[in-house]
Amino acid sequence: MQERLEERPAGIDGSALPGPWPVGQYATRLRAWLRERPRLQLFGEVWNLRTSRARIYFELRDAQGAVPCGMWRDDFDALGLPAGAVVDGTKVVVAGGPDFYPGTGTASPAFSFHVGDLRVAGEGDLLAQLERLRKRLDAEGLFVPQKALARPTLPRVIGVVTGEGGKARDDVLAGLARRGWEGRVVWAFAPVQDRHAAPRIARALSDLAACPEVDVIVVARGGGSLADLFCFCDEALCRTVALLRVPVVASVGHHTDRTLLDDVAAVSCSTPTHAAEAAVPCHCAQARADLHRQAGRLAGHGRRAVVQRARTLAHLSRAPGEHVAREHARLHQRLREIRAATRRRAHGERALSTRRALVLDRKATAAAQAARRHAGLDALAAALAAHDPQRTLERGYALVEDGEGGPVTSAAAARAQRAVRLRFADAAVDATIEQEP
Amino acid sequence: MSQEPTQNYEGATARLEAIIERLDSGEAGLRETLDLCREGRGLVEFCAGELDAVGKGLEELRLDELVTRLERGAADAA
Repeated sequence: MQERLEERPAGIDGSALPGPWPVGQYATRLRAWLRERPRLQLFGEVWNLRTSRARIYFELRDAQGAVPCGMWRDDFDALGLPAGAVVDGTKVVVAGGPDFYPGTGTASPAFSFHVGDLRVAGEGDLLAQLERLRKRLDAEGLFVPQKALARPTLPRVIGVVTGEGGKARDDVLAGLARRGWEGRVVWAFAPVQDRHAAPRIARALSDLAACPEVDVIVVARGGGSLADLFCFCDEALCRTVALLRVPVVASVGHHTDRTLLDDVAAVSCSTPTHAAEAAVPCHCAQARADLHRQAGRLAGHGRRAVVQRARTLAHLSRAPGEHVAREHARLHQRLREIRAATRRRAHGERALSTRRALVLDRKATAAAQAARRHAGLDALAAALAAHDPQRTLERGYALVEDGEGGPVTSAAAARAQRAVRLRFADAAVDATIEQEP
Repeated sequence: MSQEPTQNYEGATARLEAIIERLDSGEAGLRETLDLCREGRGLVEFCAGELDAVGKGLEELRLDELVTRLERGAADAA
């Protein structure tokens, strides 16, 4: 420092002001001095908005002037503003104080109003507040209980919270008529227009839910600007609805300006007509037709179950008789077959016996004939034997035969032969005839 | 077989559809079929009663009228 002081140039001649001082030292002290200024809030419009990785820069302007503003990106994101909530022209309120970047040897110095907090004013402010409350209620889990309630398919009694004389009433009735529903509607009329309507709406809802016969509640309104619908974004109303034991069907907002009641309710619909239809998920005429058909199918099943089994039992009960009859017929057939076979066999045997008798007869006849023939032959043989020369020879006679074996029956023939053979019973002897002198 | 857990319209219709699906499968025996038919007839009567309750003509009441009725009913009961 001592060396730097030695490098300090001489001041301006004649000037009463202290110094000169090094500008960097002055810039640092200037930053410290600015940061000691009181923190405060400013409001104006955002212009020339630009962002970097770590910082957000914009100018806060009004008709009289402007201040360059800077904000840490993390602080801006922590605000939870919806995308597009802050653009050029957005009216905002900022909180912070002046700051100064002293620069470096190469970076330029810059003055800015350091913004520590920011909120959007005007219409944007409402949206931002709404978004913050929505996130808070969601974080507390208040969007869940209504959706976890069981919604009856066919409610008997429907409570409706709406403005008396409004078009939403007719739309709800039209929706119920579409469903063919003709039960009991309990109207709980309440103002649905301004912010002060919220307690009345909450009380109407609580009173309806306290009636044990009310099955479902419809909250209906014909739409409007966000300011008109802001009563349905009331925190107390939302907490009341979240704790009801009866499911609530909401139809108060639109896709572009969704109220918190739409988030808390069991069901959110775009029109009162749709809300009425959502309160009665069942189409009554269709349900009656379905029920009639199911009753018919039940009756058919019951009838078929009995009739088919009765038929089966009847069939089974007839089976033994039919079996006996079949066996009887089969035996009868067998009997007839046996009789026929017997007749055929007897006939065959009779024919065979006849044939055999005939054969025997023939054989007997033939045997008799043979016996007779034998007897004749025996007689002939006896006769023949009686005439056999051998027998005569055995009695002592001799047969004279010529040289050729022919008998010589006379003396003349014997003389003529000269040589003859004498056949005796036991043998033959040759003999010579001698001529008598 | 008990109908106690299904004594609301949606429970009754769901049980009825399950019964018909079981009967359509053809797997139920005679005893089960008859039991299911008896239970189904009870459910049909219950559902028909529920539909009749919301089919006799729209009745419109204001909340205060309903409260008065309920209070009168409570007083009569007492």
